[in-house]
Amino acid sequence: MKKKLKHMEPFDLILNILVCLGAVLNLFPFYWLITSSFKTSAGIFKMPPEWFPSTFHYKNYIDLFVGQPAFRWAFNSIWVSVVTTLLVVTCSSLAAYAFSKLEFKGKNILFALFIGALMIPKEIFIVPLFQIILKFNLSDSYMGMILPNVATTFGVFLLKGFFDSVPDSIRESGRLDGAKEMTIFIKLIMPIVKPGIGALFILNFVNVWNDYLWQMLIARSKDMMTLMVGTASIMQEISPNYAYKMAGATVASLPMLLIFIFFQRYFTKGITMGAVKE
Amino acid sequence: MKKKSTYLNNPYTGYFFILPQFLFFAVFTIYPVFEGFRISLYKTTAVQNTFVGLENYRTLFTDPVFLRSVFNTLFLVVVVTVCMLFFGMLISVAVFDKNSGYISLIRGCYYLPVIVSTVVMSMVWKFLLNPANGLVNYLLKKAGVGGGNLLGNPDTVLWVIAFVTVVASVGQAIIMYVASMGGISGDILEAAKVDGASKFQRTFHIIMPLTKPTTLYLSVTSVISMLKLFVIIQLLTDGGPNNSSMTMMYYLYRNAFSYDKKNIAAAVGVMMFILAVIMAIPQFRSMSGNGGKKK
Repeated sequence: MKKKLKHMEPFDLILNILVCLGAVLNLFPFYWLITSSFKTSAGIFKMPPEWFPSTFHYKNYIDLFVGQPAFRWAFNSIWVSVVTTLLVVTCSSLAAYAFSKLEFKGKNILFALFIGALMIPKEIFIVPLFQIILKFNLSDSYMGMILPNVATTFGVFLLKGFFDSVPDSIRESGRLDGAKEMTIFIKLIMPIVKPGIGALFILNFVNVWNDYLWQMLIARSKDMMTLMVGTASIMQEISPNYAYKMAGATVASLPMLLIFIFFQRYFTKGITMGAVKE
Repeated sequence: MKKKSTYLNNPYTGYFFILPQFLFFAVFTIYPVFEGFRISLYKTTAVQNTFVGLENYRTLFTDPVFLRSVFNTLFLVVVVTVCMLFFGMLISVAVFDKNSGYISLIRGCYYLPVIVSTVVMSMVWKFLLNPANGLVNYLLKKAGVGGGNLLGNPDTVLWVIAFVTVVASVGQAIIMYVASMGGISGDILEAAKVDGASKFQRTFHIIMPLTKPTTLYLSVTSVISMLKLFVIIQLLTDGGPNNSSMTMMYYLYRNAFSYDKKNIAAAVGVMMFILAVIMAIPQFRSMSGNGGKKK
């Protein structure tokens, strides 16, 4: 180890020291978030600040789960994210398979349209989108939160890369056995592209979980709020009790932290797959 | 070269596979684009819907708050994108040729703010930056550089927002760059090293040109995410003080849902759409060119 350090060029060494310092600085807000959530509302106002909390004041968490329907929010977030993602995975894999392996008229134009839409954030059309929701009476409903997010074409783009790498001979052998296209797709091809499905599942789950603006517009009642919308609503309360607010933020960040720790491999893979292939 | 499959399928099978995705796409993407454009040409009141042509656009360009929001959005697009690319490149260059445990650790630290969502990040920073008992203010005062209400000061607020946004997005750049640098052949770098090129020279002459597609991809995604920047604005400043951190997206939202000016909001949406299309053209070319196969 020491030998290695000695062999590093000075530019490299200094850069890495700075990078490590930056990494620690990056973690600090999270340290501050979690420790503050265990302080009393008075403790949080102390100057100079308490670097280590002197109290272990878990009442903020009790207030959060008793005073707010936080469990309900967590359930809503999970439900909306899971259902959206299952729909996205289903629609995208079917479409990506068609773009990759099937021949039909207008294929290239359609694919270009799908890719083009990737560059346009749906948020800029919230006015007409919201009118659709009102027309179908989906305001304050799960479906209202879920359906517009299924329109994303990111999955088609991501999965097409995986389908492209599956040799055509597999499909041909299925054909020779007289299997229908759907059977080939489900029984032969899908098992091969499992890593792609996994990456899409996680990436899309995280996207929906963190999709704040749309969920906020749809949720009218407190019971329909998701965890993000709910915690943000706590933040916007006038109360200066930041300890309580930080408890809310801690709860909102936990699920994603866990997912990231356990699935880091899929993340890196999915994110880089979705980009330019070199 | 495209290999033709031996067994051509029935063309309807293809449409059948596309159909579910296409239905969602048609209802929630294509229709809103046209409908948004149509709404922007009307003036809607409780009793009637009148065609007014480009009137809403004219109103927008005479509204100083809108012009301010355009300026702020462009400011954030440029500052955040440049900083994110610069720091993302720098950090990745530092770590990419080290052992994989170290890479994962550093990447994880910088990616953490990306993964925990901007809602949580905004809340933490609002707390750190609040003028009464925020840590940032305390430290600045201690260091003797004044401090004060950074989010309440029109001169500093945009820089603070840019800073928080870069912290919350540089992890994305690092993941992409590290992966892309990992794909550079070790022989080239080794040969350059033997020839006496320093790490700085290797970065400038080998790594940067070879990771150009990644840089392009990152700039486009960054531009798009700056266009739709919403959470940070709502939770940190609410567009204030005195509209000095108003962005196009927030202006759109306010008009649509606070002031009930849907037509104006739709017009802002159309302009953002045009902006997004213009900025996305280079990326679109690289993604769909050659059927997205070779690069």
